[in-house]
Amino acid sequence: MPFKTTAPLRVGLFVCLLFCSLHLFAQKKITGRVISSADKQPVIGATVQVRNGKAAVQTGGDGVFTIDAGDNSTLVISSIGFNKIEIPVAGRASLGDITMTTTNTQLNDVVVTGYAVQRKKDLTGAVSIVDLADARKQPVPDVVNMLQGQASGVSVVSSGQPGQAPLIRIRGFNSFGNNTPLYVVDGVPTQNVSDLNTNDIASMQILKDAGASSIYGARASNGVIIITTKRGSGKVKVTYDGYYGTQVPQGGNVNHILSPTEGGQLLYKAQQNNNTLQVGNPSNQVPLGNAIYGTGPTPVLPDWLVNGNYNGVTYTGGFKDGDPAADPARYFADPTGANYYQIARANKGGTDWYHEIFKHAPIQQHNISVAGGTDQGSYLFSLNYFNQQGTLINTYLKRYTIRANTSYKLGNRIRIGENIAYSSIENPQANNGILVEGSAVGFAMRENPIIPVYDIQGNFAGSSPKGLNNPRNPVSIQKTTANDRGIAGRLFGNVYGEVDLLKGLTFRTSFGGESYNGWNHFYHTPDFYDAEPQYTSPSYTEQSYNGFNWTWTNTASYNWIKGDHNLKVVGGMEAYKFANHNLGGTTLGSFSNDPNAVNLSTGTGTTTNYSNSNGIINFNPNSPNYQAPVGAGESLVSYFARADYVYKEKYLLGATFRRDGSSKFITNRWGNFYAVSAGWRISQEDFMRDLTWISDLKIRGSYGIMGNQFNALGTNSYTLYGSNKQTTYYDINGTGNALAYGLAASQIGNPNAKWEQDGNTNIGFDLTILQGKLSISADWYNKSIKDLLYQLTLPGTQGAAIVPAYNVSKMKNTGIDVMVNGQTDITRDLKFTGSLTFTTINNKITQVNANGTPYFDVDSRRFNGSYIVRNEVGHPVSAFYGYKVIGFWNSQADIDAANQAAAKASNGRVTTYQADAGVGRFRYADGNHQGWINDSSKSFLGNPSPKFTYGFNLGLNYKNFDFTVFFYGVYGNDIWNNVKWWTDFYASFPGAASSKTALYNSWTFDNHNAKAPIQDAVNGSNASTNTVPNSYFVEKGSYLRAKNITLGYTFNNVHAGKASISKIRAYLQAANLFTVTKYTGVDPEIGVNTMNGQNGATDFGVDEGSYANPRQYLLGLQIQF
Amino acid sequence: MSIKKYIGILSGFSVGVAIVIAGCSKGFLDKPAEGALTSGQINNKDGLTALLNGAYAVLDGQGQNNTAIGGGNPWEASPSNWIYGSVAGGDSHKGSSISDQPPIVPIANAQEIPANGFFNNKWRALYEGVTRCNNVLKNIAISPTVSAADKKEFASEAKFLRGHYYFELRKFFKMVPWIDENTTDYRQPNNADIFPNIEKDFQAAVDSLPATQASVGKANKWAALCYLGKVYLYEKKYAQAKAAFDQVIPSAYGGPGSGGTTSNGLSYGLTDMFEDNFNAATKNSKESVFAIQMTANDGTNSIANANGGDMLNFPYNSPFRCCGFFQPAIDLANSYRTDPNGLPYVTDYNSHPVKNDQGLKTSDPFTPDAGNLDPRLDWTVGRRGIPVHDWGNHPGNNWIRDQGSAGPYSNKKNLYWQATMGTYSDQSSWAPGSAINYCIIRFADVLLMAAEAEAQLGNFAQAETYVNDVRARAAKPANILYKYIDDSHPMAGFSATPAANYVIGAYPAGYFTGSTALPAIYFERKLELACEGHRFFDLARWGVAAQTMNAYYQYERQFTGDLSTGNFTSGKNEYFPIPQQQIDLSNGTLKQNTGY
Repeated sequence: MPFKTTAPLRVGLFVCLLFCSLHLFAQKKITGRVISSADKQPVIGATVQVRNGKAAVQTGGDGVFTIDAGDNSTLVISSIGFNKIEIPVAGRASLGDITMTTTNTQLNDVVVTGYAVQRKKDLTGAVSIVDLADARKQPVPDVVNMLQGQASGVSVVSSGQPGQAPLIRIRGFNSFGNNTPLYVVDGVPTQNVSDLNTNDIASMQILKDAGASSIYGARASNGVIIITTKRGSGKVKVTYDGYYGTQVPQGGNVNHILSPTEGGQLLYKAQQNNNTLQVGNPSNQVPLGNAIYGTGPTPVLPDWLVNGNYNGVTYTGGFKDGDPAADPARYFADPTGANYYQIARANKGGTDWYHEIFKHAPIQQHNISVAGGTDQGSYLFSLNYFNQQGTLINTYLKRYTIRANTSYKLGNRIRIGENIAYSSIENPQANNGILVEGSAVGFAMRENPIIPVYDIQGNFAGSSPKGLNNPRNPVSIQKTTANDRGIAGRLFGNVYGEVDLLKGLTFRTSFGGESYNGWNHFYHTPDFYDAEPQYTSPSYTEQSYNGFNWTWTNTASYNWIKGDHNLKVVGGMEAYKFANHNLGGTTLGSFSNDPNAVNLSTGTGTTTNYSNSNGIINFNPNSPNYQAPVGAGESLVSYFARADYVYKEKYLLGATFRRDGSSKFITNRWGNFYAVSAGWRISQEDFMRDLTWISDLKIRGSYGIMGNQFNALGTNSYTLYGSNKQTTYYDINGTGNALAYGLAASQIGNPNAKWEQDGNTNIGFDLTILQGKLSISADWYNKSIKDLLYQLTLPGTQGAAIVPAYNVSKMKNTGIDVMVNGQTDITRDLKFTGSLTFTTINNKITQVNANGTPYFDVDSRRFNGSYIVRNEVGHPVSAFYGYKVIGFWNSQADIDAANQAAAKASNGRVTTYQADAGVGRFRYADGNHQGWINDSSKSFLGNPSPKFTYGFNLGLNYKNFDFTVFFYGVYGNDIWNNVKWWTDFYASFPGAASSKTALYNSWTFDNHNAKAPIQDAVNGSNASTNTVPNSYFVEKGSYLRAKNITLGYTFNNVHAGKASISKIRAYLQAANLFTVTKYTGVDPEIGVNTMNGQNGATDFGVDEGSYANPRQYLLGLQIQF
Repeated sequence: MSIKKYIGILSGFSVGVAIVIAGCSKGFLDKPAEGALTSGQINNKDGLTALLNGAYAVLDGQGQNNTAIGGGNPWEASPSNWIYGSVAGGDSHKGSSISDQPPIVPIANAQEIPANGFFNNKWRALYEGVTRCNNVLKNIAISPTVSAADKKEFASEAKFLRGHYYFELRKFFKMVPWIDENTTDYRQPNNADIFPNIEKDFQAAVDSLPATQASVGKANKWAALCYLGKVYLYEKKYAQAKAAFDQVIPSAYGGPGSGGTTSNGLSYGLTDMFEDNFNAATKNSKESVFAIQMTANDGTNSIANANGGDMLNFPYNSPFRCCGFFQPAIDLANSYRTDPNGLPYVTDYNSHPVKNDQGLKTSDPFTPDAGNLDPRLDWTVGRRGIPVHDWGNHPGNNWIRDQGSAGPYSNKKNLYWQATMGTYSDQSSWAPGSAINYCIIRFADVLLMAAEAEAQLGNFAQAETYVNDVRARAAKPANILYKYIDDSHPMAGFSATPAANYVIGAYPAGYFTGSTALPAIYFERKLELACEGHRFFDLARWGVAAQTMNAYYQYERQFTGDLSTGNFTSGKNEYFPIPQQQIDLSNGTLKQNTGY
């Protein structure tokens, strides 16, 4: 339907034509042909203008133009994708072939943003476009890992554990809960992209500011990552992409553990220290030695470790050769552990527990894709197999993904298509989580190295002999769970249709989402060999779940171009629905320990079961909240609109508006979100024309509001009562084994909760210089989040029901994101590319609760009752908090003097300067200068968030060789190295493994210049050493890591018999080759522990045995037929 | 493209939009909670019954999967108060090694600070109890279909339980905020003594509860009266206390009336066997005035209802597996020494110490004490060379995590028997649970409380009668512990040879006077109720805590390393600090106790 031109417009056109015609005099016709430097083909539609003139023409289909110009004039030729050139006419009538060089900037790349596509040069919001070629070079299984160091404004922390979701933050922290960005994959919003095949991705954009992401309204606050998957084009293309490699755990004595001989020396040292300190107190003297090392004047290594009962007598500890206690005939192991007599040969050389569980492991990936297309449609099919065995034994990620993307045209106006992927995943992870006390990794630094892995009969050995404390055998933890299995399947994708209703007006509907399901089981056998067995009978747990969510999006977009005006308008609506169902059970006891024989039906013990709909499910059966029976489905309805206006290709304006309704809210169900943005391509102005070294310069700014509702549960609004056999049922009839039904308030409702609001200002520029050889994008932002939903701790007087989220907190983030890209041809054959990302992070809590305590503490670990992390107003999230160690108490006189000073400062009220002060123990800083040490003397000890992160890619291509290196680094963060709590303080768990520091670098009466405090066998655990959080545990966490080094060679057009292969590339790659850091733990890349369910927002950077990122060596092959 | 196709597309579009708009109507955004109930669904008799069961269920302080109900570890909210009553009161050590559960160390040493998370978690567990009682009362008020008689019964049970939770709070923290079913602002000040409110709740229970109940776990009128007497005793209202106890003590025990009965109709009395009070097979006996009903193997595959709060308190490295906590004090064991007349050395018992194996390894030879001992010792304290139920002779050091830290003894009152462990123990967690009830009040306690009230009122003869009642039971032959027939097969049974030289006698008539009665009563409570979580609260209310505890530290410190900082400050340490976390959360409405 043609538009009718209006009268004023017609007049304007007439005037314009008239004005132009005045210049026809004194001119002659000049012709030329514009061709591309790349392929020597004509450049169609290039604009040819006379400099300082008004006349402009465009080249035709053959690249030829004709323009009227004076002999001395200069023609300016420009075209999208090419560098602007100027040619003097110099009296010629024909200029012949004019070669334009292609720009290397992606200014004209089309970028998918919220519900729209835009040219990069028209963007007014802060958008990071990920260079997939660089990002894909690392052998990572998922999208999030790909982003590390590749996009400014994004920080990613990953672990070496296969399948563990990395921690991703876009521009810092936005809440105390869920900080995961919204991924929009082919238009379908989701928070889970763990199974997306990275080979299928065609483009990835990160929307960072309100200008770009507010269109996603309620779910935009954490940032939005737009992912588009590939589609086919042209003739059939078959591609194979694969690698195989090995992963190598860090070598050496990573936890700095003492040998058995040294362990005995430490025991004696700690006992002698006690006896020296208690010299005037004969009853508190301890005899030297213990059940393992004997009772002589020096420690003696035992030959055997024995624990058991023989003829009513218990034998436990270390024994020498020939002792009847170690007679192998006595060996007896009842698999239930009720009766046993266990004998193991002491490992005098020392068991390297870390490397008993961390081994070399293979990694491989194979990807085949078939793609093609015609005018009428396109298709892409892909199959991906990824198999990463973890370096921690019995952990792995095995994944199959298939994808089918197709699109068809029905006539000229209708397009339909689908993008669908199905994945199947097997992913057993470290039993009991990582970075927490109960994991195999944690026990590897605790289990005494004198214990062998196996006893004399090939059963697991353990800490049960007296004197070895209570760690669990880490090998047994991982090996007895070898039969833990699970499989998860997920279908994700969408179908869509588009119709061009009118010229420029397109309607699009897309229905997509995911359907997922999974099953897993855990099987534990009794561990009588450990001092404190966790299981006395086989324990079998099985769980299954399924769920779905869908999003239906309908948009109408209108694109209007008239002269210098370009207006794009999109309006639409979206509906979202989510539900899931969970089912599981546990049985204790089984006829046999054969895991294949057990299921919920054949277990011999009591079977418990549970089910829920939309309840939180945590698949770790050791986690306290793994059965949350209560839930509510979730739904969202949204209306939105955006407008982008470009005038003269240099003045850019954008506006978005979105209105969201959420099922999580009742009285404040609807929220409005908007953003305005503007850009000025200053390089297009006349006064910039002479600066030919500047290809493009744009300054941008935006302000808007984004929202968040992730942090409220579906049941947030409701006041509920619930039943639970463990907490509300009661044996009111005194049966001793049968419970009567009981109820209690289970959830306190907050019907007045509302949307979080994230006010976001962004100012940035995009600069391209030197004909595209160098481009820089930089942004400054300020995010101020209010009405943050937070599950306040309520006074105990309100009971123990689940507390709802209230809109009580505030947070602020400011920072700078910089991305630099460079490329140049050093010689004809030697080409250089480089990119740098730089991201600063500056997060501050500005309010926790207007009417309450301005902080909350988390993560107590073994500091029962006092916490490592304090989240306080004016400080960043997850800041470390405790006493600052300023040295040691070197003598009793020092302590007495301090006590006297404290008494004086307090007028006699305080007589003890520092609780548990003692010779050789830590002396704490008097943080608030009150004259003595108590709770108020604590201070902030560190920040686990880096000041900045950076990544740089450097690439060299020489003929058919390609070489790239990628470095990633973080700077300025701190790590709470809680491994030291176990290893550097003998008294923490006497008899368990200790570190070299404890023996060689602890305070002694001769060495006051030590690292660790005095090792004291009796009174070594106290508030002046290890029972309160203090700065001893804080270390600098900065590191620079060679994430990836690759050398490749490409063969072009290989013919082998009948087969014709257009390209073969083979490459060698080393990932995580080396790391520069001062951190003394295994790996400075500390993520969030997998147990606390906090999404890592309020509690991260605490190392208690990490699953380190392994070194990887790969051989890869890419074949394109 | 044909017009028809246009129409098709446009109508498809319109239908789509229409569906979306329809979908956006209110219903689409209304998602009810699943797996839970709302108040409207429980305002009936069954709902109230269930709510009331819920109010009983939190007597044990336990949440699910090895947590306390208000957070923290199970033991932080144990209803037995083994940490706060026994360890803090000096009848036991924390046990294990000194670095295990370090927050208990300052509690044991009267060095506790308000920030100690244990107090916070105990506070939260007790207020969850209060909350559940209040929810019963709130829902009674809005339950139209429930009869007035039923409402009265529900309300009086709820008030009994609320009285209990508040009594615990009062004895722990002294000044605590009162929250009842009418409270809407949960930030109430703690500026008033809540004893009057507690009295009122128990009086309401006394007035309305029946004498017997169909369910033995329920509180009855007599239990309420016993508890009311206990409240009066804490308030030093001796006459009222006596009046209450007079009603409940049967004439057989010297009471003036016919006495009370348990919920299952048993006339109050002392079981012949002391140990019956600590055995799941003999629970809910005539001695059980009000007990927390524990279960084993109840289908939860957890020990949440099986004394989860005491899961640590088994000998270490023993068939019980874990964890070597709660080791009776040397001072306590010495208290069971008897003189030739079978009477305790009330003032100088530590001058007659019981021989122990402190400092000896299991392989070192040791002969147990040969002197006169009260038979209750060997049902309370596990010691080297003496049978531990049917598990074998206590091996000494091998079952002790760290003698140097916490002495040579193990706790016995929470042990189950090997012969019946399949029924009465629960092995589904990393440490065992059991179906042994915890008696909040048992009849021996009532007799001793009554004795105290009588002595305070000058009725020494009556007081002596009650104390001798308790001693007479201990002296019954059933309480003699015998050696095994065969030490290497303990389940084969016991011989006829006593395991020690048990000598116990009654106080001679007229022994109780103004100067001897109270010390003897106090001492009898120590012996009879040792390791049951009462000691600290008794010392505090008697006003002798500072002197007793400081003497205890002085003595016990000679042997163990865990009490090195012990120093009890009079006027401060009689109550625990209001948890700092709660003060912080109260916006300044809660005030800290004196001295903290």
